[in-house]
Amino acid sequence: MTRTRMLLMMGIVAMSGAMLPQSGEAIPAFARKYGYNCTMCHSSFPRLNDYGERYRQNAYQLPGRENEEKTVLEGPPPFAVRLSGGYTSYSAQNSPDIQEQEEFLMNGVDVLSSGLLAPNIGYFVTLLPQIDESRGVEAQDGTLESGNVMFSNLGSPWLNVRVGRMEPASSAFSVKRKLSITPYEVYSFGAPGVATLADTQDGIEATGHGRGLAYAVGYLNGSENNRADDAPQDVYARASVVLGAGEGQTAGQRLGVIGYLGQTRPGTDEADGTGDRQDLSRVGFDASLNAMHSNLALQYLVGEDDQLLWGTTEDVEFSGGFAELSVMPCTWIVGFGRFDWVDTPSDIDQDITRWTGGARYYFVDNLALHVEYSHRRQHQPDAPVATEDFAAARLDLAF
Amino acid sequence: MSRMGMCVWVMLALVLAGSAGRASGSGFLANGPLPPVPVPADNPQTDAKIRLGRALYFEPRLSADNTISCATCHNPKTGWANITPTDTGIGKQVGDRNSGTIVNSAYMQFQFWDGRAGSLEEQALGPIHNPIEMGETLDNVVRKLNAIPGYRDMFQDVFGTDATTDGIAKAIAAFERTIVSGPSPYSRYLAGDREAMSPAAVRGQALFNGKGHCSACHSGPLFSDQGFHNLGVGMQVASPNPGRQKVTNKPGDLGRYKTPTLLNVAVTAPFLHDGSEKTLLDVMMFYNRGGVPNPNLDPQMLPLALTKKEMQDLVAFMEALTGTYPVMEAPPLPPDSPASAETGKGGAL
Repeated sequence: MTRTRMLLMMGIVAMSGAMLPQSGEAIPAFARKYGYNCTMCHSSFPRLNDYGERYRQNAYQLPGRENEEKTVLEGPPPFAVRLSGGYTSYSAQNSPDIQEQEEFLMNGVDVLSSGLLAPNIGYFVTLLPQIDESRGVEAQDGTLESGNVMFSNLGSPWLNVRVGRMEPASSAFSVKRKLSITPYEVYSFGAPGVATLADTQDGIEATGHGRGLAYAVGYLNGSENNRADDAPQDVYARASVVLGAGEGQTAGQRLGVIGYLGQTRPGTDEADGTGDRQDLSRVGFDASLNAMHSNLALQYLVGEDDQLLWGTTEDVEFSGGFAELSVMPCTWIVGFGRFDWVDTPSDIDQDITRWTGGARYYFVDNLALHVEYSHRRQHQPDAPVATEDFAAARLDLAF
Repeated sequence: MSRMGMCVWVMLALVLAGSAGRASGSGFLANGPLPPVPVPADNPQTDAKIRLGRALYFEPRLSADNTISCATCHNPKTGWANITPTDTGIGKQVGDRNSGTIVNSAYMQFQFWDGRAGSLEEQALGPIHNPIEMGETLDNVVRKLNAIPGYRDMFQDVFGTDATTDGIAKAIAAFERTIVSGPSPYSRYLAGDREAMSPAAVRGQALFNGKGHCSACHSGPLFSDQGFHNLGVGMQVASPNPGRQKVTNKPGDLGRYKTPTLLNVAVTAPFLHDGSEKTLLDVMMFYNRGGVPNPNLDPQMLPLALTKKEMQDLVAFMEALTGTYPVMEAPPLPPDSPASAETGKGGAL
């Protein structure tokens, strides 16, 4: 598609959206329960604001209102659906992946259910239905992306326990609720098949917070390269502090550190790895800085994977991170720009850089026009640099 | 997609459609229309009782020096509230609380900023014997009223007895139950008149139920959760006013005050329990800062990152909550004696 056609298409979509009312009341699952708009908890859906973060930490109970909450049996059905679709353009050079793709696509459907089972016991389930690939429909593996129960305020806000499949707090910035479509490279990077910080995991996590301080520790199954009968070996610990009022989402300045130790098997093309489990580790710090309706998210990680995971003669040490600036001048638009990088040793030579820019325009709280462009470069041993260009204009809807 | 998958989707769509229908009803609105005024079984409304209550409401002789009436601080001409930050009682003594409006107080579960009264009847007597406000003893008030033939007759007519503290409380409460607000631009908008609110107010409503976090506490038809919250107001001093803690003795209630109604709030400046904010925009800026930090700050208080335009939209919405309400002059009050009535020297304000 030429640039002119693409701009024309985006313009038509934007104009059609502009004819929609600006002040509708979004009513997905939680909002439906309370009669609130999405922006009560989301600065820009799906990203949480400080209030939403406290709500999540509190097992889906309004902060300080635990005794007044209704359970899922006492309110409207606790279901919501999120789906997105639109135009996607992808081109790759020197890459084994898809070389060229331009089409209108239905990109994904999530079915969510969440709420309160009893005072201080909440649950969260995200189900991805199986969708077969066809013209205009992107394939989606049917899976339970997350399904966990959270026991909150066990004596005090300093002890909350989440059990099940979850997005662990080892990722300082949520992969599931990020603004961009393109991934945080450093969370995805690792030995082949090992995306330690980029996905949901099964396990148990304890968290606590108060007076601007927070901690999280977890005991997890770990990478998908582990076999089904492998005992959990991964542990992590995270601590953070917020300077000033807020949770660091849209107010306050949050600083955090993370340490992750795990084991996994060398990857293959199969789902499980083969051979003995080997060590991996991640250490890093992060910052979420807020000022003037803007947020600067910074993540720096240092990783070390056992040589047997990469098939190298030495353990592989890499570093990387991202810096993302998002600007939210009002509730109906957010712009974002991000730089991702990963530095790798010369024996694997897989350095990555990615530039991403985009914006989300909210026709109503729960319907956004998402535009994004991303350019990625990755070194390849003994091969030219692989490049990818990704552009998308999609509608993102939750109801 | 498999047939099973299709079935799941169809069922889910039906469930969501049903829930969406429920959501459009008032049951799931954060702020729906006001219900009928609740009236306690032991104090039914009668015209005679309301007339007596109205007279007592405007009666300065309920105070020790015959200068202060309920209407002095809850003035009908200023939204049944007070335009000064805090009250001035007998002997020009200055209190530490702003006089909230009595409009719609009939719906409030608790009265006073710290909720120390559980009913209007209980509230009605409080200011009379408060040494800073009206400074009179209840016994003396009863004595004074029974010395006024007009009042004695009215009490006999309503209660079949001379004036009593119970009768005073019930009559004033009955009168206050008639001071309720009528239709507002918001209520008309809620009823389907989409032109009733300005575009700014409509935007403000979305912020009120969203980014502004207002409806987290200002919920329900009264725009009050009838709860108590610590916003940090007045907490920056070494020994802050205990607020709700003085009533419950619970440490967690330190600095908590009742969530006031927002109906007619635009006509009841100044704001907050100590009247420290002069305008609604000032209040928005206060909330936008996340209140005043203190160890007992309500966890719902957070900086809001509102723009000035968004705060103005919120103010526009709150102005749209201004409904009609009774405005009245003081009625002719029973004279001290027949002689004073002949000369026109009654107790009127």
